[in-house]
Amino acid sequence: MGTISTYAAQSLAAVRTSFADRTNFALQVLGMSVNNGFWLVLWFLFFAGFREVGGWRLGDVARMLGVIYTLFGLATVFFGGYRDLGGAILRGEIDPLLTQPKPILPRLLARESIPSAWGDLLTGIAILSFSARLDLGGVGLVVAAIAIGMTAWLSTAVTFASMAFWFAGGRSLSRDLMDFTLMVSTYPASIYSGWVKIVAFTVLPAGFVAVAPVGLMRDPSWQAAALAVGGAVAYAALALTVFHLGLRWYRRGATPGS
Amino acid sequence: MRSTPPWTSRIFSTLAAMVAAYRIGLASALTAWPVLLGRAIFYGVCLMVLVAFWDKVGAQRLAGTLAVRLPPGGLGVYIGVTEWVTLSVPAIQLRLEDDIRSGALEPHLLRPKPYLAQTIAGEAGGMTARLAMLAVAGLALLAISGRPWPAGLGLVYVGVLGVIGALIGVLLYTLVGLTAFWLRRVLPALLIMQKLMFLLGGLFAPISFYPGWLHDLAAASPFAAHLAFAGQEVLTPSISDFSRALAAQAAWLVALVLAAALIWRAGLAKLMKGG
Repeated sequence: MGTISTYAAQSLAAVRTSFADRTNFALQVLGMSVNNGFWLVLWFLFFAGFREVGGWRLGDVARMLGVIYTLFGLATVFFGGYRDLGGAILRGEIDPLLTQPKPILPRLLARESIPSAWGDLLTGIAILSFSARLDLGGVGLVVAAIAIGMTAWLSTAVTFASMAFWFAGGRSLSRDLMDFTLMVSTYPASIYSGWVKIVAFTVLPAGFVAVAPVGLMRDPSWQAAALAVGGAVAYAALALTVFHLGLRWYRRGATPGS
Repeated sequence: MRSTPPWTSRIFSTLAAMVAAYRIGLASALTAWPVLLGRAIFYGVCLMVLVAFWDKVGAQRLAGTLAVRLPPGGLGVYIGVTEWVTLSVPAIQLRLEDDIRSGALEPHLLRPKPYLAQTIAGEAGGMTARLAMLAVAGLALLAISGRPWPAGLGLVYVGVLGVIGALIGVLLYTLVGLTAFWLRRVLPALLIMQKLMFLLGGLFAPISFYPGWLHDLAAASPFAAHLAFAGQEVLTPSISDFSRALAAQAAWLVALVLAAALIWRAGLAKLMKGG
């Protein structure tokens, strides 16, 4: 309970701090909304030229984008420290936390709230309100898909960023991996087959961030739910293991990047 | 005995600092070889997913759509080239954002060497290692895939335009990083820049597929000089297109260096005035 209340207090403080400079906040939210609009326009142009990809049309992609923007927005507003977790490790910002009794990872995640993520949250909700089924069952599935996808997304971020415990270049590589995972997550799920499907459900878990949760929304079943929840839980376990292995290495006095 | 004019000596001193920074950047990237290797694997994974997407689109060949205009071998090699350049460009904006936000920039301002030129040169050093590593990975993947190689001198054109395009990318990301003087976080500027690279740079689809007005707009932008020109050379290699692309890249290099210098001065002025 103490862990949750510490996380919540720190996260709310980070959110309040992100509001402090209102002009900057507004610019960031606007910038992100324009960015998301751009991506939607790109898909609009694509489907205007190519009509469909393996049965997926613009409406399907829009629904998926709505889920992804919303989960990304929630993760980055309330767990924004994940965005530069690798940088925090390399800068030695873990040191003061090591002397304190509270768990380290939640505090690292809660230490920052990125203002631009409100832009993701707003565009995500706006897209979902136009493209998703919004009766009681539909809303329940959307919420479940977002929660599952967000767990997989944060777990992936922690796993990749933990490379910085061992390599200085891990910060830049983990950023690229996350950016690419996000981009791949926005592609129609119909492209995944054979090796690509294996990659999407292992190395770059776009499958568990987007494909499985959105699959649960499109075609709800116990099997789809088991795949989505199981994947997210497995990735969360992997993230905790890798982070704590890295932390053990760090505690031994190994300089990050050495 | 004639003494060297002060401005000449300043230029030589700056160039020497840039060369030293370049060598340090290159050596650092080579030392972190596991990260380079990881990036090469990442490049392969990227290609696997993106090529699968375009192969799926090409396989359908829906009548009345642009799919019928896709080249017979698909867009695999085109994607390989544009991703080669994209993944080789270092995240210089992160370093600028860190230094500007944290105040780490200030000690550099007291030194006689120009911070921005040295930072760009250092990142270009790291980029050289990435370009080489990913080029080897890309050529190996092309050989394994059995897809057709670019015709004629296409590969040479791609190499030249790709390397200059990557340098243009460093300058574009430098502009993003310099927005940290005004924005606390450069993320929105970065994402907008990335989307412009997708749309106008041809990272999403070749700009030759666009309607006329959008194609002209894209071709006249720095984003095409960054990515599309190199990619286009694998689709329709020609010496005349190559020469035009080279001239456009040279013009954009000059324009972006000037823009970076101007924004840097404006940012410094703001920093000096308000902290």
